[in-house]
Amino acid sequence: MSLSTIRAMQLADSGFPSGVFAYSWGLETALADGQVCKRTLTDWVAAELRTRWLRFDRVALAGGFRLAGEALTDWFHTVDTLMPVERNRRESAEAGDALFASARALRISMDPGAEAAQASGTGHFSVAHGVFLRACGLTLTEALETSALSMARGAFSAAVRLGVSGAITTQRDLLALAPLLSELAVAPAPDDLPSGFMPLSDVALMRPHEGRLFIN
Amino acid sequence: MTAARVGIGGPVGSGKTALIEAMLGVLAETGIETAVITNDLVTDEDAERLRKGGKLAPDRVRAVQAGACPHTVIREDPTLNMAAADRLEADYPGLDLILLESGGDNLASTFSPNLVDYWIFVIDVAGGDDIPRKKGPGILQANLLVINKADLAPHVGVDFPRMLAEATEVRGGSAVLPTVCRKGEGVVEVVEHLRREVLFK
Repeated sequence: MSLSTIRAMQLADSGFPSGVFAYSWGLETALADGQVCKRTLTDWVAAELRTRWLRFDRVALAGGFRLAGEALTDWFHTVDTLMPVERNRRESAEAGDALFASARALRISMDPGAEAAQASGTGHFSVAHGVFLRACGLTLTEALETSALSMARGAFSAAVRLGVSGAITTQRDLLALAPLLSELAVAPAPDDLPSGFMPLSDVALMRPHEGRLFIN
Repeated sequence: MTAARVGIGGPVGSGKTALIEAMLGVLAETGIETAVITNDLVTDEDAERLRKGGKLAPDRVRAVQAGACPHTVIREDPTLNMAAADRLEADYPGLDLILLESGGDNLASTFSPNLVDYWIFVIDVAGGDDIPRKKGPGILQANLLVINKADLAPHVGVDFPRMLAEATEVRGGSAVLPTVCRKGEGVVEVVEHLRREVLFK
């Protein structure tokens, strides 16, 4: 097994501290509104992978992985501009702050262009994740696989904590999604821009929900 | 110089927020620049309560939600709190102290040493006088154990001197302080303890 594969396994592990456990990215509200249930949970996660992750997070991460210096700072700002909903934009930057804090504590050096973006409040998680995974020695493909798996695992983990699904059931569901994760984790073209409209989860992200347990 | 980070944990309803509310007045009188991070289990009710208390500028109270895991956000993955504390220090360079209030949890909760320099565990007499005997990491490992609502002891059938003695015994002599936070009793002693053990001022 290569060193970068071992590192990818470590960085995709649910025990890796990056703050993502506190985000449900709309799932909590969608469950409360009855738009998704135990039976359709895997479909929700698959749809999120095919839309939000594939079209937005994957492209944002790849830019973070590939770029450096001022070009990287510009990329953070571009991603910031492409997030028109203020709340989502703010929460994405807050999630990024947690990853930067983790990197500092681990003494993993983030590119100065990323540090500059974080200082200006645009240190979005998906881009920072690309910077961080490159700094940890992963290849871009491994970084994308790590990100996709983390996104799916995070959604299932939220469902477990919300009492909608069981820890064993979600592992079965995650196994079933493995081929999709592998299929989607392909590097985008260098000139791709993040885009995406995911009506159900976008609306869920914006809707206030009384008694919310997750940040979003 | 960075601000000292002090965790305040304990079961739901033990008086963590009440302790912080009472401490803020004493800390302000002694010139200690303070900020607070709350980890509400649901929304940001504790943060709002502290903001409305008026003892601290509202922006010095930040809320971090715990994703249904009050122990995870202070122990297994403290990065959200670390980021919030880093941000507070950047916004207020002269801070002496950041208090991090855990969402209510059980006797097994502990703070990550990556997150805090020192931590306080708060229990109350109404939870039962057997809590110290049950031990648990919160009781045993906290740098300071606070037993709150001491005035309720006669009303809930608790022999308070005995509870205090048992708590001191199971902790091997580590600090235990009684409080009645709603009346401000014992709070000066808690602040003095922090000044002596953590702040050195």
